Amino acid sequence: MAVIEIALTERLVAPWAEWQKRYTAGRRLLEAGTYALTEGAIAAGCRVFAGYPITPATDIAEYMSKRLPQVGGYYMQAEDELAGMHMCAGASLGGLKAMTATSGPGYTLMHDAYGWAITNEIPLVVVDAMRVGPISGITGAPGQGEFYVARYCTHGGNIETIVLSPNSVQESFWLTIDAFNLAERFRTVVTILTDQVISDMFEDLFLPHDYAELGGIVVPRHHNLAMPFYPLNSDAVDVPPNVVGLGTGVCVSAYTHTEEGYDIEEMEAQWAQTYRLVNKIRHHRDQILRYEAVGLEDAEVVAVAYGAASRTVKTAVLGARRRGIRAGFLRLISLWPFADELFGRDVRYLVCELNYDGQLVREVMRAAPDKRKVHFMGKSAELHTVAEVTAALEGVARDGRVPGLPYIWTDV
Amino acid sequence: MNKLAQKYLRPSQIPTKACHGCGIGMIENWLLQAIDELGLKQEDVVFGTGIGCVGRQTFATWGGDNFGATHGRALAVATGLKIAQPDKKYLVVVGDGDAAAIGTSHLIHAARRNLGVTVVCEDNMGYESTGGQFSPTTPAGYVTNSSPYGMVEPSFDPCDVVKAAGATFVAETTATQWHQTIKIVKKALQNDGFSFVHVRFPCNENFGAYALGTRDTLKNLEWIWEHTQGRTADGKPTDFTWETGIKHDASNSRPEFSKILRDLVRKAGGTPASAALDRVEGVVVDD
Ligand SMILES: Cc1ncc(C[n+]2csc(CCOP(=O)(O)OP(=O)(O)O)c2C)c(N)n1
Ligand code: SF4
Repeated sequence: MAVIEIALTERLVAPWAEWQKRYTAGRRLLEAGTYALTEGAIAAGCRVFAGYPITPATDIAEYMSKRLPQVGGYYMQAEDELAGMHMCAGASLGGLKAMTATSGPGYTLMHDAYGWAITNEIPLVVVDAMRVGPISGITGAPGQGEFYVARYCTHGGNIETIVLSPNSVQESFWLTIDAFNLAERFRTVVTILTDQVISDMFEDLFLPHDYAELGGIVVPRHHNLAMPFYPLNSDAVDVPPNVVGLGTGVCVSAYTHTEEGYDIEEMEAQWAQTYRLVNKIRHHRDQILRYEAVGLEDAEVVAVAYGAASRTVKTAVLGARRRGIRAGFLRLISLWPFADELFGRDVRYLVCELNYDGQLVREVMRAAPDKRKVHFMGKSAELHTVAEVTAALEGVARDGRVPGLPYIWTDV
Repeated sequence: MNKLAQKYLRPSQIPTKACHGCGIGMIENWLLQAIDELGLKQEDVVFGTGIGCVGRQTFATWGGDNFGATHGRALAVATGLKIAQPDKKYLVVVGDGDAAAIGTSHLIHAARRNLGVTVVCEDNMGYESTGGQFSPTTPAGYVTNSSPYGMVEPSFDPCDVVKAAGATFVAETTATQWHQTIKIVKKALQNDGFSFVHVRFPCNENFGAYALGTRDTLKNLEWIWEHTQGRTADGKPTDFTWETGIKHDASNSRPEFSKILRDLVRKAGGTPASAALDRVEGVVVDD
């Protein structure tokens, strides 16, 4: 994994830290996050999109409807999100890389399809552009309410999932390529949890000239043409995905399966399948971990955030540093599997997220050495201001608590 | 083992796990006969199923590629598959719950798009694998495990629905009509578009037992046969009649969905992506 040391203690641990240096010939645009994400998918070789319109993910569908035919791909407007994700699963099973995109109300309709795709080890990318909820909430306001839903994206348990979250337009491009790569390598569904701010905002965007030259970083689709179709009891990655339609005799279903894909009702088969679905991911956590950090090594209070929320939080941390507070910044990019290893130091953590119920904070409380030193700073429907985060950092550093602030929730 | 089973099915996955006397195995045999008479090979056909008895008892019996979807979504999966692998025939076998209840919207829109699949709705007039509750195709008034006082809703004819939605081939038949069913399935498979075949069959275990008062296969088949004739064996009119036969045949009259999408790609200046056309890299998984 590439690591760049931007300042003394600032680092980005993600494949695109290196990709950005490798690919420099291209176009500079002022574009939206949804545009960047769409281009990332096209660059990664996505050739099928099926989805149902919903703000703020609709623009991805519209861009796809234009771009896919140009590159030989297929845009389908499904009758609902259930259909959309199942269509994508079918297309990927037929050998084409596929993606769907939605927001909260559509996301929760996808549970059956998630289970089907994950169990059958079908590579797929699902984008959830989060807005504030529950239900329709406010369509044009950001939220971070699907942190846990994305982990528990289907029923029945016995799975592990990969979830990534970008915090800029540019990162939406690279991260989407990465999501497709992980989907292929791990034969699973990779979820991109973005949000209304990162989706809708316009920013500087660099796009490489020729996507065909990205061969060095894009994981191509391979086909598994032979038994075993499901390497049960194995944690192997880089197993080529199965393909329906080439006459391999593969069987794909909703049932607990044998290595041939036959339905079976025996506990041993269930255990073998679970071992595979959980451990192919858990045993390779190091290959999935992506984050950005500033001053983690010597910080006394570390502000933790992801997605849009991380932007004002980082600004506040850098400002606090200049004023002598030993503040640190940790932005999670891979949200699941959860990065327990980044919370080893027994310091104070200030978790800033865009909901009032507190989701990310619960994982940090679990991972940190002392949960009493984990503080919650929830805000709903809009970003934390720099001033709010600054006040909280000062409060935590000075008296070990977040001061009372209007619109901020601190109870978990 | 019969010759067709030997030719097309997986020895390890047959005979069917269905209850004694269930029509599912018999209908599958007829599907094989239609496939065989058309000269199709194992690798020409992708076999898809829904959830429920109809899906569970036939999934993975087909010797070629199989998929068993989540409940109701077989046609959504088939839509994705068809655009990725357009040259295959898709035979999608679903129950009435799959087709006429939880998955109706996908059925309607697959028909509207003229997706190139043949849907065989094997209708046992109830949710049988969950123990025999009424479904939208249970005849009104009949007793099931969730309609102990008789089904109070009017029932629903999926043929009418798919025809209205734009299906290019629609037919209705029953497990009592061997020759007709084979003829119909052959025609359905020859349509490069959306074909819907509705086949009623008796579930002895539940519908037979609770609605008709018998688990006797012959009596249940006779009840179905009588309702295709409108007359009981002793000459009395039945409470209702099912018209069987081809209900709508506009085979090959309008473009198939995946072809429309490929044509769109060409219009936009692209070359249609297809996994079957791409270089296939065979990789043996080693553990
Ligand atoms: C989303 C979902 N809801 C409910 C079920 C439970 N379920 C399994 S089979 C079935 C009935 C299927 O009925 P039908 O399609 O008519 O098939 P049959 O068993 O009668 O052949 C139901 C309700 C399920 N598997 N998934
Ligand atoms: S429950 Fe009914 S439909 Fe299901 S296998 Fe038994 S007889 Fe057939």
